[in-house]
Amino acid sequence: MSSAGIDKVRDWILGRHPERTELAADVDLIESRLVDSLAFVELVYTIEDAAGVEIDFDNIDIEDFQTLATIEKAFFA
Amino acid sequence: MSLPLIGVDLVPISRVGELLDPGIGPLLRKYLSAEELTVSRTPDGAPDQARIAGRLAAKEAVFKLLGAVGRPVPWQGIEVLRGPGGRPGIRLSGRAAELARDAGLGPIDVSISHDAGFAIAVATSSSALPATSPDHPHSQQSATPKGMP
Repeated sequence: MSSAGIDKVRDWILGRHPERTELAADVDLIESRLVDSLAFVELVYTIEDAAGVEIDFDNIDIEDFQTLATIEKAFFA
Repeated sequence: MSLPLIGVDLVPISRVGELLDPGIGPLLRKYLSAEELTVSRTPDGAPDQARIAGRLAAKEAVFKLLGAVGRPVPWQGIEVLRGPGGRPGIRLSGRAAELARDAGLGPIDVSISHDAGFAIAVATSSSALPATSPDHPHSQQSATPKGMP
Protein backbone atom coordinates (compact mmCIF):
# COMPACT_ATOMS: atom_id res chain seq x y z
CA MET A 1 0.00 0.00 0.00
CA SER A 2 1.42 3.39 -0.94
CA SER A 3 1.69 6.30 1.46
CA ALA A 4 -0.42 9.42 1.24
CA GLY A 5 2.74 11.36 0.47
CA ILE A 6 3.66 9.42 -2.65
CA ASP A 7 0.01 9.54 -3.73
CA LYS A 8 0.30 13.32 -3.63
CA VAL A 9 3.38 13.18 -5.86
CA ARG A 10 1.63 10.78 -8.26
CA ASP A 11 -1.44 13.03 -8.40
CA TRP A 12 0.77 16.04 -9.19
CA ILE A 13 2.43 14.23 -12.11
CA LEU A 14 -0.89 12.91 -13.44
CA GLY A 15 -2.36 16.39 -13.08
CA ARG A 16 0.28 17.65 -15.50
CA HIS A 17 -0.48 14.88 -17.97
CA PRO A 18 -4.24 14.60 -18.36
CA GLU A 19 -3.75 12.09 -21.18
CA ARG A 20 -2.66 9.56 -18.53
CA THR A 21 -4.94 7.97 -15.96
CA GLU A 22 -2.38 5.93 -14.07
CA LEU A 23 1.32 5.87 -13.34
CA ALA A 24 3.12 2.70 -12.32
CA ALA A 25 5.75 2.89 -9.59
CA ASP A 26 8.55 1.74 -11.91
CA VAL A 27 8.01 4.19 -14.79
CA ASP A 28 11.14 6.29 -15.38
CA LEU A 29 9.80 9.83 -14.94
CA ILE A 30 12.76 11.45 -16.66
CA GLU A 31 13.32 9.11 -19.61
CA SER A 32 9.58 9.15 -20.35
CA ARG A 33 9.69 12.96 -20.22
CA LEU A 34 6.87 13.08 -17.69
CA VAL A 35 9.18 15.43 -15.76
CA ASP A 36 11.39 17.80 -17.74
CA SER A 37 14.14 20.03 -16.38
CA LEU A 38 11.79 22.91 -15.58
CA ALA A 39 9.23 20.61 -13.98
CA PHE A 40 11.96 18.87 -11.98
CA VAL A 41 12.13 21.86 -9.64
CA GLU A 42 8.37 21.65 -9.19
CA LEU A 43 8.68 17.92 -8.49
CA VAL A 44 11.25 18.62 -5.76
CA TYR A 45 8.96 21.30 -4.33
CA THR A 46 6.00 18.86 -4.37
CA ILE A 47 8.04 16.20 -2.57
CA GLU A 48 9.23 18.75 0.02
CA ASP A 49 5.63 19.76 0.64
CA ALA A 50 4.32 16.19 0.84
CA ALA A 51 7.18 14.82 2.96
CA GLY A 52 7.65 17.88 5.18
CA VAL A 53 11.39 17.94 4.45
CA GLU A 54 13.78 20.38 2.83
CA ILE A 55 15.81 19.01 -0.09
CA ASP A 56 19.24 20.45 -0.84
CA PHE A 57 18.97 21.05 -4.58
CA ASP A 58 22.75 21.34 -4.98
CA ASN A 59 23.35 17.86 -3.58
CA ILE A 60 20.52 15.96 -5.20
CA ASP A 61 21.06 12.32 -6.16
CA ILE A 62 19.13 12.06 -9.40
CA GLU A 63 18.59 8.32 -8.80
CA ASP A 64 16.25 9.21 -5.93
CA PHE A 65 13.92 10.95 -8.37
CA GLN A 66 13.90 8.42 -11.20
CA THR A 67 10.60 6.66 -10.42
CA LEU A 68 7.76 6.85 -7.90
CA ALA A 69 9.30 3.78 -6.23
CA THR A 70 12.69 5.47 -5.73
CA ILE A 71 11.00 8.68 -4.54
CA GLU A 72 8.95 6.71 -2.02
CA LYS A 73 12.01 4.86 -0.78
CA ALA A 74 14.06 8.05 -0.44
CA PHE A 75 11.48 10.38 1.08
CA PHE A 76 8.42 8.50 2.34
CA ALA A 77 9.75 5.20 3.74
CA MET B 1 42.94 23.67 -30.74
CA SER B 2 39.75 24.75 -29.02
CA LEU B 3 36.49 23.17 -30.13
CA PRO B 4 33.40 25.39 -30.51
CA LEU B 5 30.37 24.45 -28.44
CA ILE B 6 26.73 25.43 -28.83
CA GLY B 7 23.62 24.94 -26.72
CA VAL B 8 20.03 25.90 -27.47
CA ASP B 9 16.75 25.80 -25.55
CA LEU B 10 13.13 26.79 -25.99
CA VAL B 11 10.67 27.70 -23.22
CA PRO B 12 6.95 28.37 -23.72
CA ILE B 13 6.12 31.67 -22.05
CA SER B 14 2.99 29.99 -20.67
CA ARG B 15 5.25 27.89 -18.41
CA VAL B 16 6.26 31.06 -16.59
CA GLY B 17 2.60 31.83 -15.99
CA GLU B 18 2.30 28.44 -14.29
CA LEU B 19 5.36 29.15 -12.13
CA LEU B 20 3.83 32.46 -11.05
CA ASP B 21 0.66 30.72 -9.86
CA PRO B 22 0.34 31.70 -6.18
CA GLY B 23 -1.05 28.22 -5.50
CA ILE B 24 2.38 26.64 -5.92
CA GLY B 25 4.27 29.10 -3.78
CA PRO B 26 7.30 31.27 -4.45
CA LEU B 27 8.72 28.75 -6.89
CA LEU B 28 10.32 31.29 -9.21
CA ARG B 29 12.96 31.95 -6.53
CA LYS B 30 14.21 28.41 -7.08
CA TYR B 31 15.05 29.28 -10.71
CA LEU B 32 16.12 32.91 -10.54
CA SER B 33 18.48 34.75 -8.20
CA ALA B 34 17.40 37.92 -6.42
CA GLU B 35 19.33 39.99 -8.97
CA GLU B 36 17.70 38.19 -11.88
CA LEU B 37 14.26 38.70 -10.37
CA THR B 38 14.98 42.41 -10.06
CA VAL B 39 15.84 42.78 -13.76
CA SER B 40 12.92 40.58 -14.88
CA ARG B 41 10.18 43.08 -14.16
CA THR B 42 8.10 45.32 -16.37
CA PRO B 43 8.29 49.10 -15.82
CA ASP B 44 5.27 48.88 -13.54
CA GLY B 45 6.96 46.22 -11.39
CA ALA B 46 5.09 43.14 -12.53
CA PRO B 47 6.98 39.95 -13.49
CA ASP B 48 7.98 40.16 -17.15
CA GLN B 49 7.01 36.67 -18.31
CA ALA B 50 8.77 36.89 -21.68
CA ARG B 51 12.03 38.01 -20.06
CA ILE B 52 11.77 35.32 -17.42
CA ALA B 53 11.16 32.65 -20.06
CA GLY B 54 14.17 33.98 -21.97
CA ARG B 55 16.35 33.72 -18.87
CA LEU B 56 15.20 30.16 -18.21
CA ALA B 57 15.92 29.19 -21.81
CA ALA B 58 19.36 30.83 -21.58
CA LYS B 59 20.19 28.93 -18.39
CA GLU B 60 19.34 25.63 -20.06
CA ALA B 61 21.27 26.58 -23.18
CA VAL B 62 24.34 27.36 -21.06
CA PHE B 63 23.86 24.14 -19.11
CA LYS B 64 24.10 22.22 -22.38
CA LEU B 65 27.60 23.59 -22.85
CA LEU B 66 28.69 21.98 -19.60
CA GLY B 67 28.20 18.39 -20.76
CA ALA B 68 26.55 17.41 -17.46
CA VAL B 69 24.08 14.97 -18.97
CA GLY B 70 21.67 13.42 -16.48
CA ARG B 71 22.24 15.98 -13.75
CA PRO B 72 19.75 18.60 -12.57
CA VAL B 73 20.16 22.08 -14.01
CA PRO B 74 21.90 24.28 -11.38
CA TRP B 75 19.42 27.09 -11.92
CA GLN B 76 20.83 29.40 -9.26
CA GLY B 77 24.41 28.80 -10.34
CA ILE B 78 23.82 30.06 -13.89
CA GLU B 79 22.74 33.70 -13.71
CA VAL B 80 21.64 35.58 -16.81
CA LEU B 81 22.15 39.27 -16.14
CA ARG B 82 22.46 42.46 -18.16
CA GLY B 83 25.84 42.57 -19.83
CA PRO B 84 27.65 45.39 -21.66
CA GLY B 85 25.60 47.02 -24.39
CA GLY B 86 22.42 45.37 -23.19
CA ARG B 87 23.52 41.91 -24.23
CA PRO B 88 22.90 39.09 -21.76
CA GLY B 89 25.84 38.45 -19.47
CA ILE B 90 26.44 35.07 -17.81
CA ARG B 91 27.71 34.64 -14.26
CA LEU B 92 28.51 31.12 -13.07
CA SER B 93 28.87 30.07 -9.44
CA GLY B 94 28.92 26.93 -7.31
CA ARG B 95 28.49 23.63 -9.14
CA ALA B 96 27.93 25.33 -12.51
CA ALA B 97 31.29 27.11 -12.20
CA GLU B 98 32.98 23.85 -11.25
CA LEU B 99 31.47 22.06 -14.25
CA ALA B 100 32.61 24.85 -16.56
CA ARG B 101 36.11 24.74 -15.13
CA ASP B 102 36.27 20.94 -15.45
CA ALA B 103 35.09 21.20 -19.06
CA GLY B 104 37.75 23.80 -19.87
CA LEU B 105 35.14 26.28 -21.08
CA GLY B 106 36.15 29.69 -22.37
CA PRO B 107 33.94 32.80 -22.28
CA ILE B 108 30.22 32.14 -22.80
CA ASP B 109 28.05 34.22 -25.10
CA VAL B 110 24.26 34.06 -25.15
CA SER B 111 21.56 35.37 -27.43
CA ILE B 112 17.87 35.41 -26.45
CA SER B 113 14.73 36.08 -28.45
CA HIS B 114 11.02 35.72 -27.80
CA ASP B 115 7.99 35.74 -30.07
CA ALA B 116 4.72 33.90 -30.66
CA GLY B 117 4.53 32.58 -27.13
CA PHE B 118 8.04 31.16 -26.96
CA ALA B 119 11.46 32.25 -25.75
CA ILE B 120 14.56 30.80 -27.35
CA ALA B 121 18.18 31.10 -26.33
CA VAL B 122 21.46 30.06 -27.90
CA ALA B 123 24.69 29.80 -25.92
CA THR B 124 28.15 29.43 -27.38
CA SER B 125 31.58 28.82 -25.97
CA SER B 126 34.64 26.73 -26.66
CA SER B 127 36.52 24.07 -24.77
CA ALA B 128 40.27 24.10 -24.40
CA LEU B 129 40.19 20.34 -23.81
CA PRO B 130 40.81 18.00 -26.75
CA ALA B 131 37.60 16.49 -28.15
CA THR B 132 39.01 13.06 -27.32
CA SER B 133 39.48 13.94 -23.64
CA PRO B 134 37.07 12.13 -21.30
CA ASP B 135 36.57 15.50 -19.58
CA HIS B 136 35.52 17.25 -22.77
CA PRO B 137 31.91 18.39 -22.28
CA HIS B 138 30.69 16.62 -25.39
CA SER B 139 32.92 13.58 -25.35
CA GLN B 140 30.11 11.16 -24.51
CA GLN B 141 27.57 12.16 -27.13
CA SER B 142 27.55 13.06 -30.76
CA ALA B 143 25.01 15.86 -30.42
CA THR B 144 24.52 18.72 -28.01
CA PRO B 145 23.18 17.09 -24.88
CA LYS B 146 19.78 17.82 -23.49
CA GLY B 147 19.99 18.85 -19.87
CA MET B 148 18.34 16.92 -17.13
CA PRO B 149 16.24 15.15 -18.12
